[in-house]
Amino acid sequence: MALIDVVNLSKAFGPKVVLSNVNLQVEEGESLVVLGGSGTGKTVLLRNIMGLLTPDSGHVAVEGKIIAQLRREELFKVRQSIGMCFQMAALFDSMTVFENVAFGLRRHLEITEAEVQARVEECLSLVGMKGTEQLKPAELSGGMKRRVGFARAIALKPKILLFDEPTTGLDPVMTDVIGRVILDLKHELGVTTITITHDLKSAFEIADRIALLFRGECIACQTPAEFKVNPNPVVQQFLRGDADGPFLQDPPPPKRKAKEAHA
Amino acid sequence: MVLTLFDKVGSTVLQAMETAGDFAVLSGRAFAAIFKRPFDGANLMRQFQAVGVNSIPVVVLTSLAVSMVFAVQLAFGFRQFQAEGLASQVEGLAIVRELAPVITGLMLSGRIGSAMAAELGTMQVTEQIDALECLATDPIHYLFVPRLIAAALVVPLLTAISIYVGYWGGYLILVGAEGQSAFVYGGEFYKLLAFRDVRIALTKAFVFGMIIALVGCWKGYRTRGGAEGVGNAPTSSVVTSSLWILIADFFLTKLLLV
Repeated sequence: MALIDVVNLSKAFGPKVVLSNVNLQVEEGESLVVLGGSGTGKTVLLRNIMGLLTPDSGHVAVEGKIIAQLRREELFKVRQSIGMCFQMAALFDSMTVFENVAFGLRRHLEITEAEVQARVEECLSLVGMKGTEQLKPAELSGGMKRRVGFARAIALKPKILLFDEPTTGLDPVMTDVIGRVILDLKHELGVTTITITHDLKSAFEIADRIALLFRGECIACQTPAEFKVNPNPVVQQFLRGDADGPFLQDPPPPKRKAKEAHA
Repeated sequence: MVLTLFDKVGSTVLQAMETAGDFAVLSGRAFAAIFKRPFDGANLMRQFQAVGVNSIPVVVLTSLAVSMVFAVQLAFGFRQFQAEGLASQVEGLAIVRELAPVITGLMLSGRIGSAMAAELGTMQVTEQIDALECLATDPIHYLFVPRLIAAALVVPLLTAISIYVGYWGGYLILVGAEGQSAFVYGGEFYKLLAFRDVRIALTKAFVFGMIIALVGCWKGYRTRGGAEGVGNAPTSSVVTSSLWILIADFFLTKLLLV
């Protein structure tokens, strides 16, 4: 049985259908990367897995438990085994880095303060953020915030890690750093991961399988090698990063020739 | 035309019911979560600090101003028919029964209710509340409960301070400016009052405290739409909680004075 099982998942907000009949299975220890243009429902997919949204039809099951049918206490139990890394990190801005990472430990585990301290240090060093314990989130850069967010997500030793666009808005070097941190976490913790990203380079590095969401549907879900040679014109356009093709609903503005543009 | 009117009225009523239902459900969840574990003492202390200690200057200043103005009005009014002696009795009655709890409630809805709405609203739009959910923490338990407890306990205490300050505000005017005897003022202030009046004042303050915290947290929790939403949440929280404080004041007075 797959660790995460997304079955015929559909979700609409008012008249706008965001996900329609999405099916995905993620096996234990596997690393799935979900690609897709902006607004194709990638984040909505993660929020359904976390139980932050309720599907209109279909369901998400984690370890065989259907998320939308759980009572709140049971849902919280399942959530303790999932670490979620938000797009903008979503650190608690009234707390220090240390308190952020220690939050889940202090609330859910009956351990001494020394053990909390040791675990926080371990998590921060895993993401390369040792020594920032006493800083406030406002004092960190975008990339540092994300990494602290990762540390907070792994503190409770989850089985599953979900990354919501971990590299969006970062410079190419920091994007590579984040990619490496995710790879390190995957290898050192052996967790199952779902990563949502636009960044093809890190996607191919991280992924065991790549899925592409297009207009609310999952049109491909295969290994990186197969994905590269997928004949679907949408996949090929996405890989090329070209505006011309079936990917956009509205036709893009015509491309000016270089000469014309200068004149 | 008629159909459109029905349509409009219907949707307004439905909307109002939905809002009231949402508030009731969240409030119910907040009350139910009060005794849930884990108990977060540090968080509660922070709220006592924010809601209570930091509100003392505001409460002292407004109570002093209102009680002094009221004393001036009473002294002037009773002088018209040579009954200056009654001014201190009515001052005491008005301050304890109405002015102290209502002024404290209204000032705190502006000071702490709006702060709660702004804080929770910012947390909502920056996904911090979702992050709490993902860390298997009930936001109602973590955010609502300490604020509710702090406000429900602190507003009566601040009302007591307000009564005390009100006594001295009246003293300043009636004894200091109007030349009444300090000894007589001290006796007359309490003459029309019974212990029941203090109990009523504190009961009112207790209810106002719950209104302020629940409305502030609710408006913040339900914030949508970025900066504009965060901007609207405190305003809307102050208007709503002030209105409910006034409505609750009327009914509590009716109910408790019988």
